[in-house]
Amino acid sequence: MKGLIFDIKEFALHDGGGIRDTVFFKGCPLRCVWCHNPEGLSRERELYIRKARCTNCGLCRTPCNHPDCAPFGRCLHICPQNLISVAGQEWECDALAEHLLRHKAIFDETGGGVTLSGGEPLLQADFCEALLLRLSGKVHVAIETSGYASEEHFWKVISKCDLVMMDLKLASPTAHKEFTGVNNDPILQNAKRLQKSGKEHLFRIPRIPSITDTEENLRALAEIAGESPVELLSYNTMAAAKYPNVGREFSRRIGKTGFEGDPTKFFQNAVCRK
Amino acid sequence: MNQELYQYYIVDRAHRALRKPLGRDLGAEFASAGLCPEERMCRRFEIACAAETPAIMPFEKIVMRRSISALPDVFTEEEWETIKKDPYIHELGYVSNLSPNYEKIICKGLLAVYEESSKYQKRVIDALLGLCDRYRAEAEKQGREDLAEIFGRVPRQGARNFREALQFFRILHFFLWLEGNYHNTVGRFDQYMYPYFKQDMDAGIYTRETALELLEDFFVSFNKDSDLYVGVQQGDNGQSMVLGGLTPDGTDGFNLLSELCLEASCELKVIDPKINLRVSKNTPLWVYEKGTELTKAGLGFPQYSNDDVVIKGLERLGYDHEDAVNYVVAACWEFIIPGCGNDIPNISGVNFPLLVDRAIRAYLPTGGDFEGLIEETRKNIHAECERKIPLFKNVWFVPSHLMDLLRDGKKYNNFGFHGCGIASAADALAAVKTYVYDEKSVSAERLISALDANFENDPELLHLLRYEAPKMGCGKAVADDLGFWILDTFADALDGKTNDMGGIFRAGTGTAMNYLLHARKVGATADGRRAGEAYGTNFSPSLFAPVPGPLTDIESFTAHDLTRTMNGGPLTLEFDGSVFQNPDTIRKVAMLVKHFIDRGGHQLQLNTVDLDALKEAQKDPEGYRQLVVRIWGWSAYFVELDKEYQDHVMARQMYSV
Ligand code: SF4
Ligand code: SF4
Repeated sequence: MKGLIFDIKEFALHDGGGIRDTVFFKGCPLRCVWCHNPEGLSRERELYIRKARCTNCGLCRTPCNHPDCAPFGRCLHICPQNLISVAGQEWECDALAEHLLRHKAIFDETGGGVTLSGGEPLLQADFCEALLLRLSGKVHVAIETSGYASEEHFWKVISKCDLVMMDLKLASPTAHKEFTGVNNDPILQNAKRLQKSGKEHLFRIPRIPSITDTEENLRALAEIAGESPVELLSYNTMAAAKYPNVGREFSRRIGKTGFEGDPTKFFQNAVCRK
Repeated sequence: MNQELYQYYIVDRAHRALRKPLGRDLGAEFASAGLCPEERMCRRFEIACAAETPAIMPFEKIVMRRSISALPDVFTEEEWETIKKDPYIHELGYVSNLSPNYEKIICKGLLAVYEESSKYQKRVIDALLGLCDRYRAEAEKQGREDLAEIFGRVPRQGARNFREALQFFRILHFFLWLEGNYHNTVGRFDQYMYPYFKQDMDAGIYTRETALELLEDFFVSFNKDSDLYVGVQQGDNGQSMVLGGLTPDGTDGFNLLSELCLEASCELKVIDPKINLRVSKNTPLWVYEKGTELTKAGLGFPQYSNDDVVIKGLERLGYDHEDAVNYVVAACWEFIIPGCGNDIPNISGVNFPLLVDRAIRAYLPTGGDFEGLIEETRKNIHAECERKIPLFKNVWFVPSHLMDLLRDGKKYNNFGFHGCGIASAADALAAVKTYVYDEKSVSAERLISALDANFENDPELLHLLRYEAPKMGCGKAVADDLGFWILDTFADALDGKTNDMGGIFRAGTGTAMNYLLHARKVGATADGRRAGEAYGTNFSPSLFAPVPGPLTDIESFTAHDLTRTMNGGPLTLEFDGSVFQNPDTIRKVAMLVKHFIDRGGHQLQLNTVDLDALKEAQKDPEGYRQLVVRIWGWSAYFVELDKEYQDHVMARQMYSV
């Protein structure tokens, strides 16, 4: 079985305990206006061109015979600055598991492991499940998910993970639809299931100025989170830089000011992180 | 922290403007008087001591700073030309890169060694004491009874307590520089100072805080005159301090003083002394966490070295166990022995990419197989070592009376060769193996014609070799194995070779400034490096290797045994400052370092780089005077570096969150 992966980051510092590798699954059913991984949205492989440094020398537009360049209309093997790549690499499940297990020694030494992230890993639930079958029992596996998935997909994956880090974005269904493109009902359902399951978990709230980071929303999310541990993540504006690289436009809907004061006070069990 | 002291010496550096030149052309004076080198060194020392004016600031506890600026040479230029014709002159000709035995003199005092000293040494001691007495008089004049009492005791007699020992060290170090020696290292400070420190701590004379404050005062003293101690670039001054490590009785030497030294450095954020931390498999994580706190400060140290590997490696080279256990580092990372070591660990360097390039160009057109190319490379490495070895005969140093007083004979007289551009050389071989031999997708003619044209005729080949080919540091066994094969071959080529001082030759993994200098001597290379582009520093991936992350980097550079190439030269990891956000991420970096050591890595340097700040600093140097970067084995203020050194720092592979 094959999965589409757009990055594997070694020594990921904020994706769980110990030293970890994070695998980024390509494709996401949401379209959060603040998303900082625009190359993880589409379920297809796509060109990624670091446009800021392009000198428009034109070399990549000269016709070539490489079979792997054909779908993209650009030559991938010529840019003198290596600005062109393809976001999305197909991995055989066995190969990916083996690749990740290379670092097993340091994962074990440090209480670390592997984190599945994206995009949305649950969009490739079957592949995730197959990968987990090869990893669980050997390394600690965490998952970062939007929670937007059918009960079946959600359950078969998270039940095999050691730690679940799930986003909570907006409590209001209309606002959720407006800013992420989807209804939050499946997410809220899955959040409840997660809480009931007894799985080690953590809710993460991206603090997007004027969108999620309002007193009203924070209070409402605090209700949903209940006793569960919560991490409030501050937003960094670096996200916009990558959008042109995949031919997308960054939303201008993010405001400047967020909630002022300590947002953890609404929650039973929350911490802030930069 | 003592703010006044910091402001005066580190920020304003007001004292530097007060310095005066000696105003004499001593070389010419000595030449016309027909003086011998011994007399010249002695006389210059006397003149300099007499010309020095004691200066004591009310806010400093550890005193002595230079009031005369640069020392005039003891020989004229013409004389140097004649001198250089016969013996081999290393670098500037003055004694450098030694780790003196401070401990002995600090303990006994200078009077105790006076009688056994040579007539020149006696004169040197007299001149030294003369200036110290004037410091005492100045202290009395200023009503500084504390200092007057200390100078009443040291350096004539041995130190009785921690403060006297620190001042004694400062005196010795100050005069070693004034004698004209350079890269005067600090050695195992936390070991030889510990008895004084412990005694005073046990007696309740200091609390942890007051001891730290005194130590900071002492650390500042390394920075008072460091602008006069220039090496290749400002900051390259060899004031390396070594902390922790195995002791001769087999215990771990890391103690409370080691810990306070890390803290002092962390608080002051000054580039001297340069901190080195000796660790081993048994070092607990909290020590690495302390070290990482210092890494976070952005000074480019501590540099770590692995006792498990280094001691074994030095013993393998013939060092006695009791000496190997005491190893320290020279100015950068070369392993040397304090006291009895007389090694020249940086006498030369081998330019591996050049040797590989020659092999490729000579051998590929013959149509032989890859084994043949390897054999050709092996021959080149051996031939280059054999060509170089006889160049270093009859080495002569300008005599150095005070330094000799601080030495315990010259037991080890080994010469070290740096090994430069290992990754670029390995990558070039790996690329040829992959594309010319295994895949046969690139012909020998095409490769050589592209190299000749600096790839301008073949951008596709450039892309392939530069960005797609297997590279050392990227977890590709073909490149990593070739890198270690080069090291082994290098060690073989020097194995059993001796110099005319009875010493051997040591192979190393460092570059020093050769990552720029050697790189200029070869055109475009088969790893996709264009003509004129630099190599990576020391034992690190090439600048454009697509390293997947620090774990793979570490795994690649510890893939095989390193004990045969024990001259020194670290793997360097560069981190974005954001990596050190909180105790949790600091802990993770500490774990990474521990992993490197546990895997048998020999030496590691970690740098914190803020690329945006570096860019700004290039535009606005005045606004960034305190911004520090690590160069190849030492740290410097970024704005004081030449641009090509600045640019290299900015081009290195960096890990971020
Ligand atoms: S080859 Fe590179 S620099 Fe040239 S136009 Fe294409 S992307 Fe831009
Ligand atoms: S759920 Fe995550 S990956 Fe998907 S669009 Fe939102 S922020 Fe991006």
